[in-house]
Amino acid sequence: MREPLRPLRLAWTFFRISALNELQYRVNFFLQLVQSLVAVATALAVLALVFSHTAQLGGWSRDELLAVLGVHILMGGVIRAVIQPNMQRLIDDVRQGTLDYALTKPADAQLLASTREFRIWQGVDVLVGAVVLAVAAVRVEAAVGIWSALGFAVALLLGAILVYCFWLALTIGAFWIVRMEFIVELFDGVYQAGRWPVTIYPGWLRIGFTFLVPIAFAVTLPAEGVTGRLDGATLAGAAAFTAALLAFTRWLWRTGLRRYAGASA
Amino acid sequence: MAQREPDIHVADLRKTFRVPEREGGLRAALRSLAHREYRDVDAVAGISFDIAPGEVVGFLGPNGAGKTTTLKMLSGLLHPTSGAVAVLGRAPARREPSFLRQITLVMGNRNQLQWDLPVLDSFEMNRAIYRIPPEEFRRTRDELVDLLDFGDLVRTPVRNLSLGERMKAEIAGALLHRPRVLFLDEPTIGLDVTMQKRIRTFIAEYNRRHEATVLLTSHYMADIAALCRRVVVIHHGEILYDGQLSALGDQFEAVKTISVTLGDGGTDLSVYGEVTARDGATVTLKVPRADASRVAATLLRDHVVSDLTIEDTPVEDVIERVFAREATRA
Amino acid sequence: MTAVAADRRAGGMADFYRTVMRTAVIEQFQYRAANYAYMVGMITEPVIYLVVWSTVARAQGGAVEGITPGEFAAYYIVWTLVRNMNIVFTPYGWEQRIREGHLSAMLLRPVHPIHYDLAFFAGWKFVVIVLWLPLAAVLSLVFRPTFAITPLEAVVFTVAIWGAYLIRSFMLWVLGMVTFWTTRVSALYELYFTAELLLSGRLVPLVLMPTWVLAVSNVLPFRWTFGFPIEVLAGDLAPRELLVGLAVQVLWVALGAALVAGVWRLGIARYAAVGN
Repeated sequence: MREPLRPLRLAWTFFRISALNELQYRVNFFLQLVQSLVAVATALAVLALVFSHTAQLGGWSRDELLAVLGVHILMGGVIRAVIQPNMQRLIDDVRQGTLDYALTKPADAQLLASTREFRIWQGVDVLVGAVVLAVAAVRVEAAVGIWSALGFAVALLLGAILVYCFWLALTIGAFWIVRMEFIVELFDGVYQAGRWPVTIYPGWLRIGFTFLVPIAFAVTLPAEGVTGRLDGATLAGAAAFTAALLAFTRWLWRTGLRRYAGASA
Repeated sequence: MAQREPDIHVADLRKTFRVPEREGGLRAALRSLAHREYRDVDAVAGISFDIAPGEVVGFLGPNGAGKTTTLKMLSGLLHPTSGAVAVLGRAPARREPSFLRQITLVMGNRNQLQWDLPVLDSFEMNRAIYRIPPEEFRRTRDELVDLLDFGDLVRTPVRNLSLGERMKAEIAGALLHRPRVLFLDEPTIGLDVTMQKRIRTFIAEYNRRHEATVLLTSHYMADIAALCRRVVVIHHGEILYDGQLSALGDQFEAVKTISVTLGDGGTDLSVYGEVTARDGATVTLKVPRADASRVAATLLRDHVVSDLTIEDTPVEDVIERVFAREATRA
Repeated sequence: MTAVAADRRAGGMADFYRTVMRTAVIEQFQYRAANYAYMVGMITEPVIYLVVWSTVARAQGGAVEGITPGEFAAYYIVWTLVRNMNIVFTPYGWEQRIREGHLSAMLLRPVHPIHYDLAFFAGWKFVVIVLWLPLAAVLSLVFRPTFAITPLEAVVFTVAIWGAYLIRSFMLWVLGMVTFWTTRVSALYELYFTAELLLSGRLVPLVLMPTWVLAVSNVLPFRWTFGFPIEVLAGDLAPRELLVGLAVQVLWVALGAALVAGVWRLGIARYAAVGN
């Protein structure tokens, strides 16, 4: 039987439904596009400004930083289109006691709770980021081989999973202490740091951006894949870290769920 | 007694809104970007009335009748499309500070208090806003707190107050500068009966002490009945009635209700009027207003009557019927 | 008793400002935790700029355009205070203000609403400054800024941050009042804030910008709300430049106040015609 694929098919169905929902508001697409383009233009201007004063930044060339920027925009699109909206919905559901609806469905609750929302227009950034990334890949001198392309793809996937784990842990662990808007604001602020390779930050900040807020994995590592800097050992380490964090959030989810069930009973 | 200038003077007041008109759907939405079509709607369609100093007038009408629009024009928030409006001899639309210091507008459900601070701090803010001399401020504040039976609640942050307590604070705050003219838009909405009663009593007391002029809208007939001798009924932007509340029935209700309890029982009384109910020996009759006393006298003469009452139809029912009738006509 | 005499006894406008500021201080002090969290979150932005430009400076043998990492640190630490001074009533708040009837309530008061906003946010600043001091101390320990502050600079800075506050209050009020005519304002705001980011000195010290950008920024208000006050304390401006800067601020305050008055008049005429 195809049982193992069933949850994924379910997630896909959810995606499709919410995408169809949002397709009704096409004006939002143009607004989002304008906003994305203004943001990209600003980022490019900043990049040009930095490189009008220097030839390289912490060992990275201009085109390599373009690749970092591309990944940053792309991953930002994924976060705003999928991760943040689902976490927001999760919090709203817990607050209003409507999570029960998700829990009573015959599917894995964590997966279900993580794939219900899909803001398709926020995904415009995924496209914009991909374009910037493609331009960067063409311009980076080291030819992008099949292995580095594969390394990039794997690193990107790992990065997305890590950011998801981070958000879920934050959502479960912190929402009753601080307001959600504050978490979003704080994350958006810190995420801006990922526009630059984490290697330029001083040691204590770099550790924070790697393990506390996984910007290093989410942005810098995939960009290293494109620019041919990524080696197998680092990628394996990232995979191990991802697996560990995934297991941790799974445990956190179950603990949180028990608490929720206890509270609402 | 010499005729005094009215505090509120409204003559042929009119407010027309232009509302964009478009059909649903994406295509219509896009078309309306280029070329908008409008329709004129008369929210207030030429009304006139005067209110004398110290009068308390009820302003009645169903939702969308034009009550709030009128109150907004009287307090200077909206400019009239045409017609004359003067409050305390001024044009409200000019919003002169010295004018604004003499009026107040209280809207139920609208919070003007500092949410996170004790009520006293909001009062203090109003003192500064209205430039109330400290001595006068203290006196008025203590008087209002006392009248509304506020007690220690004034030291409680607004967010911790109940809806009714918040409304009391709202009203007290709106009266600190001792306005001469009060516009009260649904001041008791959403409150429980006890609190409604308390606020009603308070308004009456404030009016008596300071001879303030009050124009009041309310969905609760009890408010109107307790406070206003005069009512202005407005519907579809036009005045249907302006006069004594007690006479409202005379104009709109052609019948009176007679309840009679007969000692001999069982008699058919339908020759006297329309029988609407029969409960044992008690019969309820509807008779034309003008015939009521004659019918009562006849009943007393021809039958053994142990009890007899003549009643006007309750005001709520009259008003409800008036609006219902107007709605079908519109 | 005449109205004028009553005004004088009650203290008039000064009393109004004092009372509203006091209220703001009490209210915001209740929210010191939230205020603090917000300020900490805000710090990532200048830290990123600081790290990038320090890295560039070191790659260039110790300085960019004569600015050393220590001076960058000074610039971006003062930045955090100036940014906090720059927080005023947001243009995004106007839609809610109109929709929920707060504006009507403000219109019923015998005081122009801008006085309330100016007073409230000015009061809030005092809470912010107190909370900012320990943050500045931590940042200084970490990033080792180099300061050379003369008494004149200190005085001019104290005035200039309030000038910046006034200018930005007026500009964003004007921007927010566009809501009187249309509620589709987000793209406009986005463009405004992007221009501000690039032309104010928020992103980088303006001397690092191409000369034409510098020329443009001189004739726009942005620089006088951000870069100028920072440079007063962290930079090395001559006394003449300090005073000219203050004079330009005065000019922009006057122009901003005139703009607010004009647009307000038109906006309220429209508001009173169509309601809400």
